[in-house]
This record gives sequence, C-alpha cells and structure tokens, in this order.
Amino acid sequence: MQYWINHDGVQSGPVDAEAIKGMGLTSRAYVWREGLSDWVKITQMPELQGLYEMVNAPTTAQRQPASGEATMGEAASGEATMGQPYQPQQQPQQQPQQQPQQYTQQQRPAEPCPPTNLAWAIISTVLCCLPAGIVAIIYALKVTNKYNEGDIEAAKRASETGAWWCIASIILGIIVQPLTSVLPLLLASAN
Amino acid sequence: MAGHMRRSLVIILIIAALLVFGFIYYALDPSQSGLFPRCTFLTLTGYKCPGCGSQRAVHALLHGDVVGAFKYNALLLISIPWLALCLYGEAQRTRNPRLYTRINAPLLIWLYLALVLIWWLLRNIFNW
Repeated sequence: MQYWINHDGVQSGPVDAEAIKGMGLTSRAYVWREGLSDWVKITQMPELQGLYEMVNAPTTAQRQPASGEATMGEAASGEATMGQPYQPQQQPQQQPQQQPQQYTQQQRPAEPCPPTNLAWAIISTVLCCLPAGIVAIIYALKVTNKYNEGDIEAAKRASETGAWWCIASIILGIIVQPLTSVLPLLLASAN
Repeated sequence: MAGHMRRSLVIILIIAALLVFGFIYYALDPSQSGLFPRCTFLTLTGYKCPGCGSQRAVHALLHGDVVGAFKYNALLLISIPWLALCLYGEAQRTRNPRLYTRINAPLLIWLYLALVLIWWLLRNIFNW
C-alpha cells in the first residue's frame, strides 16, 4: 500500500508503511492513499498506528480542518467534510486524488523524482577506469529532464537504466580490473 | 523493521569498506607498489581516462597533500564536495523532494558532464 504524506505543508510520497516509520512524522501529518476521498489526519489511520510521534501543540504554520474530528473511517465516503491540510505553494491539480499516471505533461507530479544515481555515476566516473560512468551521468540528466517534463514513467525507466550502468561500471572497475592486474603477478610468482 | 535493519547493515558495510580501503591507500603508495590495479582504458588505448591518477590522488589526500592530489587527478578533488552534496540529497530524497530536484537540476548535471569531458580531453592533450 502506497501513501502520500503532507507534513506541515511539505508533501512527499508515494511511500510504503515501512518507509513512513523512518520519516520522523508527527501526529500533525496528513495522509492519503488509494480508496480515501480526501486527506486524513495520520492519527485517524489505524494501520499507521505507532509509526509517528504524538505531539499536542500544532505549529502556527498549520491550520486545523474545520470539522476534522468527523468520523473518518478506513474507506471514507465523499460526504465527510474534511478540511484540506495547509499546503503552501500548492496548486489545485496537485491533490493526490489524481493518480500520478493521470498528470498531463504540463503538470508537475507530486511524486518525488526517481533516483538519478548521480552520486554513483560520479563515483564510477572518478574511481573506475571505464567511461561507463559518463553514460550513467547522461542517464541522470535524462531522469531529471523527464521528471521536469512530467513524464514520471520515462524518468523511472531512465533511473533504472542509469542504475545498471553504475552497477556494471563499479563491478568492472572495482572487481574485474584489480583481478586482471593481480592475475599476471600471481602467475609470475607461481612460475 | 526488516527494511530498517537492511539499511543499517548496508551503511555499516560501506563504512567498513571505507576503513579497509582507507587503510590500504594510506599505508601503500600506488605510485611505488605494483599491487594496485592499472587502468584498463589506459592499457588498451594508451589514452588516460577521466579517473586515471585517482588512486595516487587518494593516497596523497590521506596524507594531507591536497596540492599533490590535485596534480594527480583534479577531477577527483572537484568531485568530492559535489559527491557529498549528492549523497546528502539522496538520503533526503523522499523526505525533502524539493531539495533533491534542486541538487539534481539538469543545469548542474550538464555542468558536471562538461567538466568531465573537458578534463578528459585536456589531460590527454597536455598530459596532466
């Protein structure tokens, strides 16, 4: 199950319950997942119990929903009148009711950018002697370009291809290369 | 829980590997010892790759010789702060997506790519 999170106006997701635990959320956070008609306070999600820290005082940046304590069950029906959590700089089309796939080219998806693997691309460029790292940098570029265009699927594909280039480069550079250098030495000492 | 433990294990393994490699590259001088791997690209083509000299540069850096490291591989030295920024962004990707896209802005990646290619070309022309 994938969740979208809005914590004090900062939106992230999709993440699974396992990842939510590591996010350091507080009870101020709002959650949305498939099947919910609107954002729900994290405290109203029984399945996420214990994955966030309980805090009492809401920050000044946060507004409480008008009738937030209305019964908001598992699969909330449309007539529940939940207020929207405070979202600065949020455009109307960024509401998570829409699936990421439905975003048009001009709209920025709410989903975070897929990993560009740029750190690994830099490591393989500088530390492995094969120019494969350069290909990985080009794929990192493709990930952010596609993400900025709103084409999240293409960005994910580029992210995956780039990751394979990094893995190949690091395996060749750090494992195969020393072996080919050490083998002649070993053969020489054996003779 | 399993994901959390796996993440910690990966971090521990990375730190252990860094310590082991750090010790090897501190204790032995790659320009003297024959134990260190030679660049396959250089052996095959006779041209230096963007990463050539990075082992000697790491050895120099571990001994506090920043100027020497710069002479062996300038790209390595430029890449270290860049890499640190990227790793920080990577760790914060789902928590702070806006920072992530800022660090990974196309303009910055283009800049790094251009640096690598220019460095690769110039070091072969001027034998840096």
